[in-house]
Amino acid sequence: MAQNLTSIDIVKHFAGVTALSNGCLTANSGEVTALMGANGSGKSTLCKIITGVVAPDEGQLLLNGNLITVSSPVEALRSGIAAVYQELSLVPSLTIAQNIWLTREPMNGIFVKYREQRKMTQELLDLFSDTVHTSFSPDTLVSELPPDEKQIVEILKAISTNPGIMILDEATSSLDSRQVDRLFKLIDEWKKQDKAIIFISHRMSEVFRIADRITVLRNGQTVGDFESKKVKEKDLINLMVEKTKNRLEQKDTIISKQFKETVLKVTNLRTQLLQGINFSVKKGELLGIAGLQGQGQSDILHSIFGSIRFSGKIELDGKDHKFKHTSQSMAKGIALVPGDRAKEGLLMRLSILENIILPSWMKYGFPLNSGKAKKDAAKTSKSLKIIMAALNMPVSSLSGGNAQKVVLGKWLQRKPRVLLLNDPTKGVDVGTKKEFYSLLKELCATGTSILFFSSDDEELVGLCDRVLVMRDGKIRKELPKSELTLTNLISASVTSNEELSRATN
Amino acid sequence: MKKSIGFQLPKLFSPPVIALVLAVLLFVVSTFFMKGGTGFVGMLKRGKTIINITAFLGLIAAGQTIVILAGGEGIDLSAGTTVTLAAIVTAVIADKSDANLPMALVAALTAGGMVGLINGIGVAILKIHPVVMTLSVSGVTMGTILAIYRGAVQGGAGPWFNNFISMPISVGGTSFGFTGAVLAWVFVSIVIWFILNKTQFGKHLFAIGVNREAAHLSGVHVTRTAILAYVLCGVFTAFGGFIVLGYIQSVYFIIGDGYLFPSIAAVVLGGTVLAGGEGSYWGSMSGALVLTVLDSILTSSQVDVSVRQIILGILLLAVISLYGRQKALRQ
Amino acid sequence: MQRIRKFFKNKTFVFPVILFVVVILTNFALQYTNLGPEKFEKRYMFLLDNNIRGFLPLILLAIAQAIVLINGSIDLSIGNLMGVVAAFLVTQYTVDDSIGRFLQVFAMAIGIGVMAGALNGIFVSLVRIPPFITTYATSFVFSGIAMWILPRPGGNMPEIVTTFYRKTLPLGLPMGIWIILIIMLLWLMFKNTRFGAHMYAIGGNEKAAFTSGVSVIRHRISVHMIAGAIAAFAALALVLITGSSDSRIGGTMTLDSVVAVVLGGTPMSGGIGGAVGPIFGVMTLGFIRNIVGFANVDTWVQPLVDALIILLSLASPSFIKLIAKQVRK
Repeated sequence: MAQNLTSIDIVKHFAGVTALSNGCLTANSGEVTALMGANGSGKSTLCKIITGVVAPDEGQLLLNGNLITVSSPVEALRSGIAAVYQELSLVPSLTIAQNIWLTREPMNGIFVKYREQRKMTQELLDLFSDTVHTSFSPDTLVSELPPDEKQIVEILKAISTNPGIMILDEATSSLDSRQVDRLFKLIDEWKKQDKAIIFISHRMSEVFRIADRITVLRNGQTVGDFESKKVKEKDLINLMVEKTKNRLEQKDTIISKQFKETVLKVTNLRTQLLQGINFSVKKGELLGIAGLQGQGQSDILHSIFGSIRFSGKIELDGKDHKFKHTSQSMAKGIALVPGDRAKEGLLMRLSILENIILPSWMKYGFPLNSGKAKKDAAKTSKSLKIIMAALNMPVSSLSGGNAQKVVLGKWLQRKPRVLLLNDPTKGVDVGTKKEFYSLLKELCATGTSILFFSSDDEELVGLCDRVLVMRDGKIRKELPKSELTLTNLISASVTSNEELSRATN
Repeated sequence: MKKSIGFQLPKLFSPPVIALVLAVLLFVVSTFFMKGGTGFVGMLKRGKTIINITAFLGLIAAGQTIVILAGGEGIDLSAGTTVTLAAIVTAVIADKSDANLPMALVAALTAGGMVGLINGIGVAILKIHPVVMTLSVSGVTMGTILAIYRGAVQGGAGPWFNNFISMPISVGGTSFGFTGAVLAWVFVSIVIWFILNKTQFGKHLFAIGVNREAAHLSGVHVTRTAILAYVLCGVFTAFGGFIVLGYIQSVYFIIGDGYLFPSIAAVVLGGTVLAGGEGSYWGSMSGALVLTVLDSILTSSQVDVSVRQIILGILLLAVISLYGRQKALRQ
Repeated sequence: MQRIRKFFKNKTFVFPVILFVVVILTNFALQYTNLGPEKFEKRYMFLLDNNIRGFLPLILLAIAQAIVLINGSIDLSIGNLMGVVAAFLVTQYTVDDSIGRFLQVFAMAIGIGVMAGALNGIFVSLVRIPPFITTYATSFVFSGIAMWILPRPGGNMPEIVTTFYRKTLPLGLPMGIWIILIIMLLWLMFKNTRFGAHMYAIGGNEKAAFTSGVSVIRHRISVHMIAGAIAAFAALALVLITGSSDSRIGGTMTLDSVVAVVLGGTPMSGGIGGAVGPIFGVMTLGFIRNIVGFANVDTWVQPLVDALIILLSLASPSFIKLIAKQVRK
């Protein structure tokens, strides 16, 4: 059954940020349409609108020429739209079979036909046979699966609904090359079944391999729509990249600063996501880490901070440290602004004051000098220009940008030597971002070393002295100031054709 | 479906104040049912008596408050047996003389602290659910008591102590009508206020109650703080048992049982959230007052025990519906 | 060796079953020693029958508790809920104590259980009060109602029914064993329904279940109602032992049900477990108490030994896990 989906002029705003101002996309049956764009271009938002997770502010969605509204994920499924995301929606304590068929279990009266469910699941699993480890059977618990197999289960769950439109959002990010090959073979099958497929990936080589059509988004607008045969990689990158006025201007000083002492040195850092990271940070340097989320960037930061387990060597001022607890690294002047503000960075139900002073109470004597704490918190919030009703209001009452200032504030109180930032400007408005940038530059000027991961490439280019580009658990490229341009950064983030073919052979 | 997010009450209407107002209202209403006249003097006298009685529950609710604030579904179901343990230890060491009282106090508090330590290790290190852990520990405590004392405990507190606790204190001839138990209660409330607001531990306690991950990433030692919370709970509960001995004067084995569930109810009525991180001891104090006033009304109105229970349950549900609701699933 | 380890890795009832086997063997060994071989042979069936009939109310309560826990909730009122039904059951036979009347009364009893469960479920799912505090509050309400119906231990059950229950040994095996087998069969069927599958999903990850289209609210209310119905059966099992009831035991039985469920391997966190675990948990608990009684332990020391064994049994799985983690490092 031929299916095509068109989105016209979709607009979406989120708390002061415009994610989409002109989202247009056409996916035809029997075709693979690739959706490309840099970080923050609006790709994910557009998909979330199509699958009913987010409601659009303006615009229309047409399915086979008919206007539709998708107001929930369940409704999307009913319209035949299925999506596979990077964030998982599986119940870890259930088996693969139970997860795939949840609410669509094959029934015999009131009983679930488990044998049949297992059989149907096995048929699905066989689609990926020989590409997985042996534990991949219908009765395996999802909690036991490694990330790549979890991703495969998500893909199978989507395809089991027999959708007309299939959306794969970075579905290959956790898969190895064999699994990607198999997935692509399946996509070919799906094309023959007249399904329309929307494929989002940052891996250029994959896009050129599988896509019939490529749509490019930039800053919330559709800026290009091509047949994949008729366009070249270089042109696509240029299209994704053009700068806008609102963002940071290219720095006028192209002279690289001279840094002397090495403050931090990381050797062969390994965690579940990291495959051996080596780099060093000098005093007063603003070192950026680029690359898409989930590539292990937070693992680097958390390892240095002492909040996760790792193997490898981390040297501070030449001395080897294996921090077992955050209080130890904090005592040595290290600070971490975590990636998930609500879950990791703030105690939402507590007041602004409590949040700012929490890491520092040991400095206020016994009994705690609440007056001094209040004064210090007031000073910090003033210098950061936090807009709030009062210091004793809960931090949940603040807007995203101001809440992030609180997180920053609690660390700046301690005058850290090494400041680790995990995507700090995510969900922060433009005005606050500018304040952050000048703050960070000031800190570097006074000798603080900053290690800064951001999903906003332009930000990195505008701010950093040096940028390390990460992909798939390793540092792929180091861009010194002289080579630090947006184009170079995005190219380095995106797998080039040669590198992928090297990997698959 | 209506939105079931708890509405934001302005500070004046915070749970401890509501509970206090409720207690006072109930008290005033009760004067019309109770003998003793509706005159101001009679009411005052009755009021003081209520406060004197509430002191015991108030003391025992202190430890419970700390443990619930710590979060992680923290609770102390061994509070009853700890009270009994402390009372027995005090009775035995004091041996009816006031001279040994300081030593008895130290022993009782140590015993309570040890119980708390065991609870803390089970919950924070072995990751056993607090309900299950504290319940089992209460069984062990009770078993230990029975095994050692075999049904009969000799001893008791000395005469001065008994008098101090049970009778109104008089200073230089004038008496304000409050017993030594109330004095102890006030003392404990100040100590708890200090711990919760003026120590690093107190700040860390609230932090782990609200969000353990974020607390960890701010340098808090989550496990250590949780264990310390349970130890303090044991110590304060034991102090409650120590004071209770002065009131009941001779020991029997189920002294503590009657305090366990009311202590939890008092904490909840006072607005401390069972999930942790939010609440105060003032709330528990108000909650204890509500329960005591309610109990006295129901007892003197000769309402059947069964009806009392029903009313207590309904009251709890009503108050919780007011300030304890969770967020809805669809947002 | 690897294969064996793999099979047992996920079954939560491994430790509980081992514990149970150890306990039951010890139990019978001691009974054998105490009574002597001849007496033992004559009476072991009788002993087993008695034992199991004694466990049955708690087994049913534990299963009800397990169901609620798997769904991600908890029920601290289940013992007193049972108390209400029990009080009701034993006070309805002043005029007519025929079988017909009994069946009528029992049907009403189940109704009471279901309504009480619905009360819990509605407060938890619709009013959104945490299950712990909801059922804590309703436990007071139920306890009060039970005491109001039956202020002092007593009441009576129709003789026909109690005799049938006590004396019958279908096919030579204790009545209790048959009931347990029927329960396990019913559980197996329940687990295989869509409702059962969704129960695990909600307990495992409420948000993911909701996003997948499971109707969490309706489901949770139903689960509490089912627990109430099971508690009604537990009440029947209880009053048939002695033909009377005591409204005060509800509270302790609730706490026992929680301990039994955890001993049986069902975690308090939800999403995992079954009926098998709680059954073993209750019997382990009961047989531990028997052992302590038979082992010629001083009466005054019995409660302590009992409590220590329970504490150790509860702590051991966590302890073993902790050591395993250290070894792996």
